[in-house]
Amino acid sequence: MFSLSEEGVAFVKRELNRYEDRRSAVIPALYRVQKENKGWVSPESVTYLSHLMDIPSAWIEEVLTFYTMFNKRPVGKYHVQVCCNISCSMNGGREMADHLCSTLKLKEDEVSGDGRYTISRVECLGACDKAPMMQVNDDYHEGLTNDKAVEILRGLK
Amino acid sequence: MPKCTINGKAIEVKPGTTVIQAFKAAGVEIAHYCWHPGLSVAGVCRLCMVQIEGQAKLQIGCNTLVTEGMVVNNTSEPVKEAVKWGLDFHLINHPLDCPICDQAGECGLQDQYVHFGKYDPEMAMPKQKKHKVVDLGPTIVLDTERCILCSRCVRFTDEVSKTNELGIFNRGDRSEIGTVENKPLDNNYSLNTVDICPVGALTSKDFRFRQRVWYLKEAASVCTGCSTGCNVNVYYNEEGAWRVKPVQNEKVNGYWMCDKGRDIYKFVNKEARLQTAKVGSKDQWRLLEGGQAAKDVGDSLRQVAKTEGADKIALVVTGQYTNEEYDSLLDFFNGTLAVKNVYHWVNNPEDMTGFDGILFRGDRNPNTAGLKARLEKRGLKSDWLDLEKKIKAGAYKYVVVAGPENNSVFPDLESKAKMMSAAPHLVWLTAAKSEAVDSATTATYQIPLKTFIEKDGTYTNHVGLEQKVKRGTTIVAGALTLSEAVSLMSGEELDFSLRPKPLTNLKTNFFTAKRGEL
Amino acid sequence: MEVKLLTEHYGKAEFQSLEGYKKIGDGYETLKKALKMQPKEIIELVKASGLRGRGGAGFPTGMKWSFLPENGEPRYLLCNADEGEPGTFKDRMMMERAPHQLIEGMIISGFAVQSKKSYIYIRGEYKDSLRIVEKAIREAYDAGFLGKNILGSNFTHDMDVYSGAGAYICGEETGMISSLEGQKGQPKLKPPFPALKGYLGKPTIVNNVETLAAVKYIVRDGAQAYRKNGTEKSAGTKLFSVSGNVMKPGNYEVPLGYPLKDLIFNLCGGLKPGRKLKAVIPGGSSAPVLTEPEAMRATMDYECLAQMGSMLGSGAVIVIDDSNCMVDLLNVTMHFYHHESCGQCTPCREGTGWLHKTVASIASGHGRLQDIQLLDRISKNMMGRTICALSDAAAMPAISFVNKFREEFEFFVREGRSKVKGEGFRHAQMHH
Repeated sequence: MFSLSEEGVAFVKRELNRYEDRRSAVIPALYRVQKENKGWVSPESVTYLSHLMDIPSAWIEEVLTFYTMFNKRPVGKYHVQVCCNISCSMNGGREMADHLCSTLKLKEDEVSGDGRYTISRVECLGACDKAPMMQVNDDYHEGLTNDKAVEILRGLK
Repeated sequence: MPKCTINGKAIEVKPGTTVIQAFKAAGVEIAHYCWHPGLSVAGVCRLCMVQIEGQAKLQIGCNTLVTEGMVVNNTSEPVKEAVKWGLDFHLINHPLDCPICDQAGECGLQDQYVHFGKYDPEMAMPKQKKHKVVDLGPTIVLDTERCILCSRCVRFTDEVSKTNELGIFNRGDRSEIGTVENKPLDNNYSLNTVDICPVGALTSKDFRFRQRVWYLKEAASVCTGCSTGCNVNVYYNEEGAWRVKPVQNEKVNGYWMCDKGRDIYKFVNKEARLQTAKVGSKDQWRLLEGGQAAKDVGDSLRQVAKTEGADKIALVVTGQYTNEEYDSLLDFFNGTLAVKNVYHWVNNPEDMTGFDGILFRGDRNPNTAGLKARLEKRGLKSDWLDLEKKIKAGAYKYVVVAGPENNSVFPDLESKAKMMSAAPHLVWLTAAKSEAVDSATTATYQIPLKTFIEKDGTYTNHVGLEQKVKRGTTIVAGALTLSEAVSLMSGEELDFSLRPKPLTNLKTNFFTAKRGEL
Repeated sequence: MEVKLLTEHYGKAEFQSLEGYKKIGDGYETLKKALKMQPKEIIELVKASGLRGRGGAGFPTGMKWSFLPENGEPRYLLCNADEGEPGTFKDRMMMERAPHQLIEGMIISGFAVQSKKSYIYIRGEYKDSLRIVEKAIREAYDAGFLGKNILGSNFTHDMDVYSGAGAYICGEETGMISSLEGQKGQPKLKPPFPALKGYLGKPTIVNNVETLAAVKYIVRDGAQAYRKNGTEKSAGTKLFSVSGNVMKPGNYEVPLGYPLKDLIFNLCGGLKPGRKLKAVIPGGSSAPVLTEPEAMRATMDYECLAQMGSMLGSGAVIVIDDSNCMVDLLNVTMHFYHHESCGQCTPCREGTGWLHKTVASIASGHGRLQDIQLLDRISKNMMGRTICALSDAAAMPAISFVNKFREEFEFFVREGRSKVKGEGFRHAQMHH
């Protein structure tokens, strides 16, 4: 059974009082769960949050499934999100996503055997002037080439 | 009071009226799925498009207030085109599995397509695959491919039942209605979501695959499940009744009814009914025709009253009958026979005043108020302990019971029947067959009565509102109304040739007792 | 010529901190000035400046503010930093390089609309922006620019940030409000408009990052000074995010009315050697595409682009050279809107998917000739039929691509391969 750490619970309780309406805390709370649950939000944690926050679980599930930054399935330690929107596509973003998948021998949105990587194609990340680019967990890596991208991923601790 | 013109028809509406309401008031057809008068405005199906004179853009009727002098139509070419395409957008990912869909025949998509459709589908791409046969809870199954995401059901659980079980998950054309793990759709109003679902996405486990709706007839009636008296339609065919749905009545139930109320069709069906009169006791029952039984009982009662006095007779009445039946019952017993020992059988005294805040009341009888008023008017004071005491003391020779029509709301049936069978003679008038009465150890008559769907009359609800019920169908032809039974007891003759004939092809309604299973 | 009004100090790293903002820039001097004015005076000033919303719709800011009811508490000011229109990356830079400029502009705007509480809604992916803005807000509180009785005045204002979680639709102001309320970011029915019933049903003003930052300069320099740049109907400067096939992509602040040709060929260094200009998307991916001749004539202001049947939008200029297949690019774009439609209004929910599937079918070499016309018809029936503009945002590029580059679509259908790239695209597969 999933539960947040003590600090996590305290965080959620703070967030419930932070905004004008307590329901606003749903998004921050889901971020927190994801952070404490290896990068994804499990169905049971929705029930857990519902009890913790006294907010209907359907409302939480709606939010969870609406926003792309919440992962509904396990992801690798490094969630690599390659922008494949227009400016990046014009500059090799899609080919870079393919290259990363074939180099790391995994399919899109799957977790690599060693649990290190998940490669996903995503929509515009607002770094179009430095296309192609990728986001690895919270960090942007811009102005890439296929080789540079592989090098960055291999260099992650 | 703003005046407006709807498709050329001038009408006056109350301030605050929306355009779609004005269309309804004017009796003009307007396409819509998401709008429902009992729910908040979602404005998402985009079908109630109208052209408002002086406005370039088409507007949706559900979110536009009527203003003075507004001239509106939904017949201009741009509106027609918008609605045609709107319908096609609804259909491109819809499975069009009407032949196997329970909604067929009462489906919003079918009905509105006939009126407003485009008739030349152009979708050539694979449809979105979504979840099918999703078990939402004890009462409902969901097909998310049929769902058009009008959000009525979600709004219902948020706004009316306030139980919040449903949500729309994911986004875009991957959106699906659903529930969350460990929180099924399980509340006493859940089946309203099936009623308001404009398509066959939400189906009732109790009703799905049982009947084609176009073979069912409907009878307007009043729910007898509690003292609220929700207005309903009972759907039936020659096999019996199959389902109950609410009918709008702002004064009583709005647009809704509770799930418990929907069970009332079950006790009217043949399987639950006492189909012929019985005389005897636990050890042996002899069958006889209901009218004859009533006459026999009447002869005995009149004899007893005359020779031994009316004090030897006790009358026990439940809150399950119509006002007219109470009147004839009391006229005979209290008037003709001068019986003063009349007892009101309260089936669940501890929660008679209960109320769930929406519709459902603890008084599980349709006419407690009507009965009480009549007892009071005649100065009859009911004291249940007195009945028990006197039966024990052997004070009564006859106990006559106008028993429950719906046994399932009488948790005390067995104990009360047992208690009353301590009298030398028991007369049990009832629509329902019951093991409790079949186990009576004393000399007993069981006389079969009709149910609410088989008779005319009025019920008085908890606030004193009298509501009519009308005969819809006849399920047990040999049963009598309570008034008929009383007439026969009093020695009158009934012209049986005028009475309803039994239905042909009366078959067992196999599913009656299986509510809640897939 | 670039005119660096908002971006004057963006090159200097220390401008990010309060200390740097004071040292290099003029600190919160304009706030001090504003607090001595009447709120209504500021609204009038902003009206007179001709400032129009920089997020995409270009609605006059002062007019939006004046829609607020006279009285009514609480009222909220929300900064829309949910930058998501493909091709746009200006707000990110503004938050990361000059958070105090935004905060100061917001406090002034908050004072003008008499709001005691504001939120900056930052798109979830912009973690750096979030961190930097949060830090700047703390600095502003510590310096007394936020909180009770700001700088000794009787104006009290609190500010907080809120992080989105990945949804383009939250850039739509009522979608953003829904999201801030902790719900799915689905736009709300209008009327009522946010100025009357917005965040939590209370009067609310939503403005873009760039709009709010510009307010500072209008108050500092006056409306006339602000109008010196730009055109009659498109006053002031604007940041343009240029990307695609140019030598020097990036953000450029120029006066509105600036020729698109100069933006591409002068400021951005033109195209790669040997490449020819084919098309330009002038205002983010929802803006109808311009052909090369149109692009060469266009000036970057609201009226010229509208007159050309396109729009200034968020100011994201996507430059497309002749190495690109327009069928492929429309497929990428339709994938995006299919992915991002919130799903509540039927024409958008179903139409975006239908458009995408149809373009994908063409782009994978399986299209039918009637599909090209169908794209146009579907699109036209998605426009103006929904709660928000996402449906139109998907329809407009589709209509413009198939009509302006019809020959490429027809070629693809006929030959089963791209006229430019030579093959069908495996990228045309659906990813969801």
